[in-house]
Amino acid sequence: MNQADVSKLVSKLRIRVPAEPRKLRNIKGPEGRIDKLRKTVTGLIKYERIELNSNRGQEARQYAERLISEAIRHGDCHKPTMDIADYWLLEKELIHKLFKVLVPRFQDSNTCYTRLLNAPRIIHSRNPDKVILELKGNPYPVLGSNKMNNRFLIQNVLLDAAKYDYRQAKYAEFAKKIVNKEEKIDTTETEAPSIEKQQSDDKLTQS
Amino acid sequence: MMNRLWKIVDLVKHMERHFMNNFFGHPPKELAAIYVHQTYSKTAPTKKYSLKDLIGDGYLMAVPKFRRTVEKRWKRKFGSPDYVWKMIVPNKNIKVCQECGHHHELGRLCENCYKRIENETKLIKDKIVEKLGNSPIDKEVVILYENEAPEQKSEFWNGKRIVEMKKERPSWFSKNLLQKSTQEPSDSKDVKPIDLA
Repeated sequence: MNQADVSKLVSKLRIRVPAEPRKLRNIKGPEGRIDKLRKTVTGLIKYERIELNSNRGQEARQYAERLISEAIRHGDCHKPTMDIADYWLLEKELIHKLFKVLVPRFQDSNTCYTRLLNAPRIIHSRNPDKVILELKGNPYPVLGSNKMNNRFLIQNVLLDAAKYDYRQAKYAEFAKKIVNKEEKIDTTETEAPSIEKQQSDDKLTQS
Repeated sequence: MMNRLWKIVDLVKHMERHFMNNFFGHPPKELAAIYVHQTYSKTAPTKKYSLKDLIGDGYLMAVPKFRRTVEKRWKRKFGSPDYVWKMIVPNKNIKVCQECGHHHELGRLCENCYKRIENETKLIKDKIVEKLGNSPIDKEVVILYENEAPEQKSEFWNGKRIVEMKKERPSWFSKNLLQKSTQEPSDSKDVKPIDLA
């Protein structure tokens, strides 16, 4: 039991971080960009599911992941982490949420904490691509593909096995029935000619 | 009106020529030759031809000098497959949604399903924001719809805040997928690893 989960010892984002950052155009320059991202991260922690332009969503996701992972790693008694949380969360009640709700929710997970999905696009429109950024374990209806049709889903595997067993049982039953029928026919066939023979013998004797 | 007038004028001219030719015949050829000789020798312009006579006050614009090649004409018409392909090509990244049967782009959410979920999400979001307000958030939120008595064990509700929606649960929003089942406090006395790194 007393073995460390290596993935929890090493601080590493569970999402792929591209080599170059996305461009977020802003008149204030880099400062404005960070402001934008702070607002987005705050919104994500607050609402748990938000729709954004693709670039902004992809960029904000990295910061949100980092924030949550730091919070899980160091806890709320760590000064630098608290400062980071204070900087990134513009609404201060969300700092409580980060440490009291999200950390317990994600501390045992082995995957990333957020989900990024491509929103439907209106064809031939000039609108930029939209994405939906959400925290995992949110109370909203599930988005994305229904994996019920996946053959390797445990329920489907079990159902397939059950179907197979049922079919085998049925085949065995049918086979038994057929065998019984054949036996019956055999017995009747062996008995019937003897009766006819007797009758024919009787007829012969009568005549 | 004018058309008719011209027609009548034409008719009169035609009649005149007809009658003159028929009754008096053509003028003698010698006469014509003399006439021609006189006119040409006296009235022929000796002025040199120049481009200015043609243009006058105007100016000339550039015009194509050579015919465009077939390649260029076709590229203009159909585009180039490597760059801008102007032909109508079938879109192959369309899938059928497993849930609702509408079509959607590969790798994107189904528009129909997403709209439905988006509306419901918005309702829940508003309700949660209204309920939580500005107070520090320290509990997980659980959504309960109308006529949905809490069926879970009492431990399940311990660290949770219930937000009630004043409507029936949508049929497509499955309850079972909503929450993890309750975790009862275990009796094991295993020690969790600490200070390992």
